Amino acid sequence: MGGGDIRESFLNELAPVKTIGDLEQLRVRYLGKKGILTAELKKLGGLPPEERRSAGALLNETKIFVEAELAARKEELKELDLREKFASQAIDVTLPGKYTPPGRTHPIIRVMREATSIFVAMGFSVEEGPEVELDYYNFEALNIPKEHPAREMQDTFYVSPDIVLRTHTSPVQVRVMQRKKPPVKFIAPGKVYRCDADISHTPMFHQIEGFMVADDISFSHLKAVLESFLHRIFSPDVPVRFRPSYFPFTEPSAEVDIGCIFCKGTGCRTCKGTGWIEILGAGMVHPHVLQMVGYDARIYSGFAFGIGMERIAMLKYSIDDIRLFFENDLRFLGQF
Amino acid sequence: MRVPFGWLQEFINPGISVEGTAHLLTMSGLEVEALETDGDDVVLVINVTPNRADCLSVLGIARELSVLTGAPLNLPFPPAGAKPPVIKPVPASEIAVEIRNTGLCRRYAGRVIKNTRTGPGPEWMARRLEACGLRPINNIVDVTNYVLLELGHPLHAFDLNTLKGGRIVVDTADNVYQKIKTLDGVERKLPAGALVIADAEGPVALAGIMGGANTEVEDSTRDIFLEAAWFEPRNIRKTARALGLASESSYRFERGADIEIIPAALDRAASLMEELAGGALEGAVDVYPVKYRAPSIEFRADRVNKLLGAEIEEDEMLRILNRLGFAAEKSPGGAISASPPSYRLDVEGEADCVEEVARIHGYDKIPSVLPCSRLSADGAGAREDFIRLVGGVMRKSGYSEAVNYSFMNPRALENLALPPNDFRRSAVVLLNPLKQEESLLRTTVIPSLIENLRHNRERGLKNIRLAETAKVFIRTNEEQLPLEPLKLAGIAIEQRTHSFWRDAAEDFYLAKGAVEALLDELRIKDRHFAPSGEPFLHPGKSADLIAGGRKCGYVGVLSPAAAEKFEIRDKEEITVFELDLDVLLGLLPPPPVYKPVPKFPYIERDLAIVVEGGVKAADVIRYIKNYPSEFIEDAVVFDLYTGEKVPAGKKSMAFNIRYRASGRTLTEDEIEVIHAGLVKDLLTHTGGSLRQ
Repeated sequence: MGGGDIRESFLNELAPVKTIGDLEQLRVRYLGKKGILTAELKKLGGLPPEERRSAGALLNETKIFVEAELAARKEELKELDLREKFASQAIDVTLPGKYTPPGRTHPIIRVMREATSIFVAMGFSVEEGPEVELDYYNFEALNIPKEHPAREMQDTFYVSPDIVLRTHTSPVQVRVMQRKKPPVKFIAPGKVYRCDADISHTPMFHQIEGFMVADDISFSHLKAVLESFLHRIFSPDVPVRFRPSYFPFTEPSAEVDIGCIFCKGTGCRTCKGTGWIEILGAGMVHPHVLQMVGYDARIYSGFAFGIGMERIAMLKYSIDDIRLFFENDLRFLGQF
Repeated sequence: MRVPFGWLQEFINPGISVEGTAHLLTMSGLEVEALETDGDDVVLVINVTPNRADCLSVLGIARELSVLTGAPLNLPFPPAGAKPPVIKPVPASEIAVEIRNTGLCRRYAGRVIKNTRTGPGPEWMARRLEACGLRPINNIVDVTNYVLLELGHPLHAFDLNTLKGGRIVVDTADNVYQKIKTLDGVERKLPAGALVIADAEGPVALAGIMGGANTEVEDSTRDIFLEAAWFEPRNIRKTARALGLASESSYRFERGADIEIIPAALDRAASLMEELAGGALEGAVDVYPVKYRAPSIEFRADRVNKLLGAEIEEDEMLRILNRLGFAAEKSPGGAISASPPSYRLDVEGEADCVEEVARIHGYDKIPSVLPCSRLSADGAGAREDFIRLVGGVMRKSGYSEAVNYSFMNPRALENLALPPNDFRRSAVVLLNPLKQEESLLRTTVIPSLIENLRHNRERGLKNIRLAETAKVFIRTNEEQLPLEPLKLAGIAIEQRTHSFWRDAAEDFYLAKGAVEALLDELRIKDRHFAPSGEPFLHPGKSADLIAGGRKCGYVGVLSPAAAEKFEIRDKEEITVFELDLDVLLGLLPPPPVYKPVPKFPYIERDLAIVVEGGVKAADVIRYIKNYPSEFIEDAVVFDLYTGEKVPAGKKSMAFNIRYRASGRTLTEDEIEVIHAGLVKDLLTHTGGSLRQ
């Protein structure tokens, strides 16, 4: 048989092959030890030299062709096999994955952490103080003696005549100053309590106290620190204003407002038509407070501020009822 | 403080709208909270801070507005320094005033007005009183209230003819008088230290707070003794608080009244009475033993600017203070010397002057400059980092963060069946709780979480996992602050019927798994769980966490009895846990020390044994790990079976044991010998048999 005939009969036999096994048999039939091509190649030795040359070239060419065809078909069949295997193993990929759905972060904790991180980035450390506090730290040392009308600003839970639930995080100022020499720079996040419950007040809420005392701290520094914070926690373009107010432990004192984030200052229900929302209280630490812990008020000055976290969270996430924070309804928590 | 704009305009023409006025006041420290329409007038509702007693009047607001706008004041009385009208003194035979405690009453003055006709006051006055939140009574009382609102000084009118013996004595009630019947008809026991006004027979008024019923001005009253005085703020507040009695008068006295305005207030009221009730001013009395002396405050302009971070000219500071009624000038030493007016008792020192300058100059004009300070590597601190980590691990285990009030219902302690000596019974008690259910501080977080679970179940939520990190409060003794240990507590309930991927584990193991995940994350290896004795947990499905050799918490199924007491009716098991985070924080190991990973392969053997139901897996594991063979690297339990294939009361547990040598490859033959020995000894130890 000549090379051309072999090639033709091989192609005829290759065409119907459907399995890797059949293909292997075909390979043996042509290229095996006793295969058709192998036999023809063996015969070459018996030919006269002049024929041997051209017949040999033709047979080699045919062998290369057959090998290539076999390899190509093998790949095809493997591919086909795999596809069938995949098809038979297919699953419904739209079914849900198996995992424990992660719990959610409480919105108050979320803003507390965010606020803490902002102040930590500005170099403030984090301090903590007791929630059940001596009257001395909560009031007296903050320039609020007994029979001071400012005590009415904060409805107080009493445990005994001298022990209260802290009404603000400010007592931490005094505790830290008693422990550390100036300069000091810290925040104190935590729970505070007021004997008050209605649609806009809960008997417990969260504050972050901020405090910085050194030999050169001014009201302009307070303004910049709070503006930086409010721009980070809300947005860089939110307007911030400071207006005079009163706290017994700061002087000068300020209330800080931000431009209403709902109406953008045109006036709405949330801002009571004013375009501004009161967001925190602040001021320069009162010299009496410094003197009471032995800081020399002629050398040191500083600022303090207290931020209500519920208020921040309500504005940030458009929450209209403060009581939602303490129901722990998963339909609420699940949104954060 | 409610100020009708029309009334204000009688004192000043600010030249701006009511809205503009409101803005100016707000930006200088008198926050206008609302503008309320009242007939054809607008009432400014002003939040006057406790330091600004001088602004508790129309005059006070007008004064402030005059400083802010530069518009002049129209006063209804002669300006300070002008010669006061001459009124003949009241004859001592009619009223003799004696101040026995000049510390608590520094001035006591009065006017006698005779032949008045007491009756309803005029309509215009009644409307103004009502606009300010006061009730009209009669023309005499209305005038005292009108002048109180207008000038800020409280006045009191006595029926002159009911004052006994022509005497007025100002003294504390101690040891002399026991009680007084006040104008509101209530007989009150006089608290210690209360200052009273008495006549020859007894108390006729609670000084600065409320008049007595016995000398009240009534329709029959013809002759009036009109009182104006200055009482010491703390004493007034103390008495008012002790009696639970507050009035417009006490509100002003306890914040500090203007001692110098007293004659003007009396004359203003007397002339209004003459005008509205007829009668004639007959005489005056003024006992003023402790004269007002303004403090002199010295400070330097550059100090003000340093504190504010501003560059305000010294002349501007002087101008601001003088406009505010201070006597301010440059002192010879180059400082500013400033004396506040008599109505600014809140101004005591440099800081107050700095605030006055800043708020009139305008906070908005002070630049905003970030401070420079030393760098600090403190960061949030280990505790804050730890708390964040714990929250994150719990969320990964499916627990959402809860935040509850720190209060606890006393009944919760009963519901939890805590014995009398349990530390959780040592709760801090509030003297003035909002409600009985919130009268204790939490000693455990569990009751709050049970409440949260109930809330969510009642709203149709099926699978609930909540965790709370919070301080609880343990009372030590009455004088000391309580302990405030930090707890992590969790609660969970699973309803699996609708869950797609079924998970057959007992709920207990899910809760325990969450605790173990936390301990793994914290790398706390020295730990084990032992059956718990917590009275509110299922005794067969609860365990205490023992870490670092002590109990650090518990995890378990809430006992059906406790659940029922908390009015939880679910048939599914509720799991809870509560851990001492302070203790766990103390158990955090030092940073890991790297050990080379094993170079040689391990050989595994599985082993299933049938044992009595009470045999604990942890005991078997411990036995295997402690077995005297250096090659046993690890052992884990991987299967538990009870059912028809093992005898009743018994269970089959399967363990995987891993053998490895550190310096060479073990052979199957040598392990065969060791493993056979282990199996034999283990069966003896547990009294079990190999599972066929």
